[in-house]
Amino acid sequence: MACVVLGTDEFLPLARAQITARGLPDLPVITVPHPIGGIPAAIAAAKAEPIVESVLRALTSRPPAGDAAVTSRGAGTSVGDVDAPEDLDQFQIWLMERGWGDGLPAIPPTRERVAAMLAGTRRKREEEVAILVPRLGRATVEAVAANAVMAGALREHLAVILAAVEAVADPSFNLQAVQTTTHPCSPLCIVNGPIARRLGMNAGGNVFGQGSRANAAIGRALRLTLQNVGGARPGKEDRATHGHPGKYTYCVAENEVASPWKPLSVERGFSAGDSTVTVCGSEGPHNINDHGSTTAEGIVMTVAGTAAIAGSNNIYLGGEPLVVLGPEHAATVASSGWSKDDFKRALWDRACVPLGHLAPENIERFAAIHPEGFKDRPAGAMAPMTRDWRDIMVIVAGGAGKHSVFVPTFGATRSVTRRIAD
Amino acid sequence: MRIVDPVGTSAASAMTLADRPHSLEGVTIALLDNSKPNAGVLLERAGALLAARGGARAVKAWSKPGSSVGAAPAVLEEIAAAARVALTASAD
Repeated sequence: MACVVLGTDEFLPLARAQITARGLPDLPVITVPHPIGGIPAAIAAAKAEPIVESVLRALTSRPPAGDAAVTSRGAGTSVGDVDAPEDLDQFQIWLMERGWGDGLPAIPPTRERVAAMLAGTRRKREEEVAILVPRLGRATVEAVAANAVMAGALREHLAVILAAVEAVADPSFNLQAVQTTTHPCSPLCIVNGPIARRLGMNAGGNVFGQGSRANAAIGRALRLTLQNVGGARPGKEDRATHGHPGKYTYCVAENEVASPWKPLSVERGFSAGDSTVTVCGSEGPHNINDHGSTTAEGIVMTVAGTAAIAGSNNIYLGGEPLVVLGPEHAATVASSGWSKDDFKRALWDRACVPLGHLAPENIERFAAIHPEGFKDRPAGAMAPMTRDWRDIMVIVAGGAGKHSVFVPTFGATRSVTRRIAD
Repeated sequence: MRIVDPVGTSAASAMTLADRPHSLEGVTIALLDNSKPNAGVLLERAGALLAARGGARAVKAWSKPGSSVGAAPAVLEEIAAAARVALTASAD
């Protein structure tokens, strides 16, 4: 069946990358001026008239050859070498020109450095850890190791990075959408278990901030792998309207010592002695300041006020937003006798957006996606922050202070936990 | 200096485009809506204009279940069985 893709001019690079990765670089893509969404329907429809002749031609004649050879880098699992400038300053410029950097200086992944990195795993260098979309890039152990070197990771970080790469490729994570959406999301890595302590990962003060090499390098290695092997280059296939600072690196450890409850890994069926990494398709963290509350009721009220937001993907797409309770807030909640599940249930009951706070066009759109939540609901009905209270994720992390953070997600993505190989 | 290619290899395999009909005379046009706002509006209008100018027999529309998920294989098979040409959408 002959096919033509209609797109907007802004999204042409993504459409091109997509058809190339799927082995059809010649498939015609015909564009209209961006956007088609968020404008009156009549204006969107009028954009069809000027393109109809070229669509007709594209459907009834052989298209010219495409501009990309799909298999130019080979289809095997052996990663090749590339010539790069010796000079470190020139190397940074060269890397950015190829779209392989993130803007910060990177370490050249020479054969020697990659070999040293590979000593951090028992896995074979040709082993395919995952296929990463949109490019359908083969994330072999060696390709991931090259990006880990660039990120400044140490060999002992590699096992965490490999587990994270495996996790983002799980179908339930919906990597294709997370990599290419306009929404500001990026995989947040949450590390649990003994490896976090062994690597000196930060689970305490400034946990989302700078200052820990393990946190910084593991998160950055995953990002560079997604950009390079996965082929999600900013402004090209990665269509983020704003993105967020976690797209440089976004990795924390849970503060298991300071938590009154079971850690995330144990909640998910792993044993306390297992090391795991959980990936979430997350927005940036938003602070929840509560210096006053002395009970669980008080804390949950403040958290609910921050989590009930009209502009959230989670209210209509579902998914699993994350609450990161600071240890002092967690202690206050636990001192009222609440379990983690008690907190999740109470938060879900309270964190609701009144439908009256949503524009009618949005309610109509949300109703098409999630009819039970938004279709023909009475005036005064409420939209909960997630589909189910069990979808709220809660961990404890951070240091001293009366703060917690709320981390919404892309919505059409599920968090994935993987055991980290010893 | 030589570095290890950080992009690695690809699992993509080249495919061949389907033959195109010489004209739309008498054919059925499929529309596959990507479920982004107004994508269906644009596709519907383009389909109607194409049918009028090219003499197509019919225009039939399908949708992806959501903008961030692919169309089900069964739906793609249904489209392939029902139509000779298809228009689909990318972007928002």
